[in-house]
Amino acid sequence: MSLQPFFEWMGGLRFSAFFLESVWPTPIVQCIHLVSVAVFVGALLLVDLRLLGQGLKETPLPQVARAAEPWLFGSFVVLVVTGIPQMSSTALKQYYSPFFWWKMEMLLLGVILTVTIRRKMASTEESQLGPVWPKVVALTSIALWTSVTIGARLIGLLS
Amino acid sequence: MLRALFEWVDVMPSSISLRESLNGYVYLLTAHVVSMGLVAGIIGYWDMRLAGMALKWVPVSKVKSGLFPWMYAGVAVNAFTGFLMLYSQPMRYYPNFWFWLKMGLLVVVAANAAYFHLSIEKTVDEWEHDPVAPFKARLAGYVSLVFWVGVITTGRMTAYSGLVPQWWIDLGLG
Repeated sequence: MSLQPFFEWMGGLRFSAFFLESVWPTPIVQCIHLVSVAVFVGALLLVDLRLLGQGLKETPLPQVARAAEPWLFGSFVVLVVTGIPQMSSTALKQYYSPFFWWKMEMLLLGVILTVTIRRKMASTEESQLGPVWPKVVALTSIALWTSVTIGARLIGLLS
Repeated sequence: MLRALFEWVDVMPSSISLRESLNGYVYLLTAHVVSMGLVAGIIGYWDMRLAGMALKWVPVSKVKSGLFPWMYAGVAVNAFTGFLMLYSQPMRYYPNFWFWLKMGLLVVVAANAAYFHLSIEKTVDEWEHDPVAPFKARLAGYVSLVFWVGVITTGRMTAYSGLVPQWWIDLGLG
């Protein structure tokens, strides 16, 4: 099944036309998106660095995870909300961009890792985790979310 | 005088070759965005600790010693890639309103950090375990948060060199 009709439909919405035809909404949405990237990366790294035995290493892991979680999910919601108009107003450009699909695949994997293994790990007593798996999960998380960022930037630069 | 400096860099062979390289700008801007997340993400948590918005139960000095080495690594990449983008396209940035506004905001965040470091941080041993820091430290945190949002925003806006006040266009820098 091709998603092309869906992207054509999205690109034809009045909502998309509004963003294409007006001057300020797109840059404003892009700015909010980028500030949210910083908040998201900060919240992500707090826990990933901790899993690597770095960062706030004297603070118990579950406490670090609890401090980061509202900001991680809050900024993710803002990222999705501000991402939608950017996607829909340039729908066919996105559809034909390999970087868009790369970003979405990495995003899907990143979300799955974050809400399953990583979340469970962050609330577990550290002595039960062993020395290896937390590092594997942290490095995978950093790699996936960095890939999302790189893919996102390349949609704009190379598509 | 500043213009002469930018024009001088503009015709340097190394500036020209970086400007004309196929993917140089792509690599630089992508690395700039990724390292920005590292820098601003960590500084954001530091500021929120000072402002009393997050990590309230973590001693202030532990937040600094644990996270700042990573932040500095990010700053190195971020400043280097930013400098190279400027170096390769000086006459693109010279007339850019958002670029100069961003530089001005960076001066403010640096001055705020320096003032914090030289004033209230001197007594950090006395208050670093308090969930809510003294007023001066909270203020430094809030000021930093607001101005970092400005730095990121104006950085993104450099792509919109035409969306600027009329008086700036009237200066005729381009």
